[in-house]
Amino acid sequence: MAEKFDNLEEHLEKFVENIRQLGIIVSDFQPSSQAVLNQKLNFMISGLQDIEKCRQQLHEINVPLEVFDYIDQGRNPQLYTKECLERALARNEQVKGKIDTMMKFKSLLISELSKVFPEEMAKYKAIHGEDAPP
Amino acid sequence: MTEMFSTLFGQNEAQGPPGSSSLGFGPGKPPPPMPQNQVPMAGQMTPQLGDDGPTLRKTGAMNEPFYLLRELPVGNELTGNTNLITHYNLEHAYNKFCGKKVKEKLSNFLPELPGMIDSPGTQDGSSLRSLIDKPPVCGNSFSPLTGTMLTGFRLHTGPLPEQYRLMHIQPPKKKSKHKHKHHRPQDPLPQETPSDTDPKKKKKKRDDDPDRKKKKKDKKKKKNRHSPDHPGLAGSQPNSNSLR
Repeated sequence: MAEKFDNLEEHLEKFVENIRQLGIIVSDFQPSSQAVLNQKLNFMISGLQDIEKCRQQLHEINVPLEVFDYIDQGRNPQLYTKECLERALARNEQVKGKIDTMMKFKSLLISELSKVFPEEMAKYKAIHGEDAPP
Repeated sequence: MTEMFSTLFGQNEAQGPPGSSSLGFGPGKPPPPMPQNQVPMAGQMTPQLGDDGPTLRKTGAMNEPFYLLRELPVGNELTGNTNLITHYNLEHAYNKFCGKKVKEKLSNFLPELPGMIDSPGTQDGSSLRSLIDKPPVCGNSFSPLTGTMLTGFRLHTGPLPEQYRLMHIQPPKKKSKHKHKHHRPQDPLPQETPSDTDPKKKKKKRDDDPDRKKKKKDKKKKKNRHSPDHPGLAGSQPNSNSLR
């Protein structure tokens, strides 16, 4: 998996570096640098071809669209991962709290019902077993 | 009391209309009295319960007063009761991203990328969202530029106009901050560092100290010469040893 990303990363780095050099050439253009510019332009196209080839290897990779919002706002996309993990943990804790509360409620209800309706609860336990939570 | 309970969950539905009994809630009429030892008739209920199918209890349990009870969920089912981060082996990722402070800017994530990448992409139309919403109209393949096509890229000599120069300006890297960060934990008194006068004072004190020491030594020597308890060389031996 990592090799696929490394390959793409390498191509992207080369592409970015080529664009940076193109920018330098263009920023103060000299007549003698026209040949280099043409070479860089074609190198840019070959770079795009290389990136296009990487697409086949990364077909099954899904990227959440929310990450793009972070990048568009100039924010670190790792913040999205961080917030996602924090949100997941918070929700996990919430749900666990609900489950624990319901389990306590169930055990209390069973114990109280057993006091009031001992026969029926005996039958109930015969069906469900002694599944009272701790 | 027990009769009421059993009639609510068992016998009452057996005699009520089919629609209400299938839901498990009978009409409000009190049921006819039944003998305590009598078990509700299974034959009366089975035709009404057939619609609910597998969600209800098995037929053997229908003799019981709790014939509408559903099966308990399987214990192996993954729920929020378990820590899902540890379940999916994401502890390392959690500690990595949530254990320490993640830097806010995009340039901290992509430090090698040239240009001002921290500014919002909507300002210069370089946002990824716009790329998805309005994909560029282009062909399926990239073909190299021929000689005639390259004539369109013949540029004028000279520098770029000012409005386009921003592309190559790198955001200033705050190296000094990093230095401060390294020094802060080591320096117990950060207020002393910015003032330039303090080290001079210290130096002066240091410069003064040897003179004072010399004067003190001279006074001591004079005193020792006059004193009867003069240690001589024996007293200087520990000092010489300590230097070794």
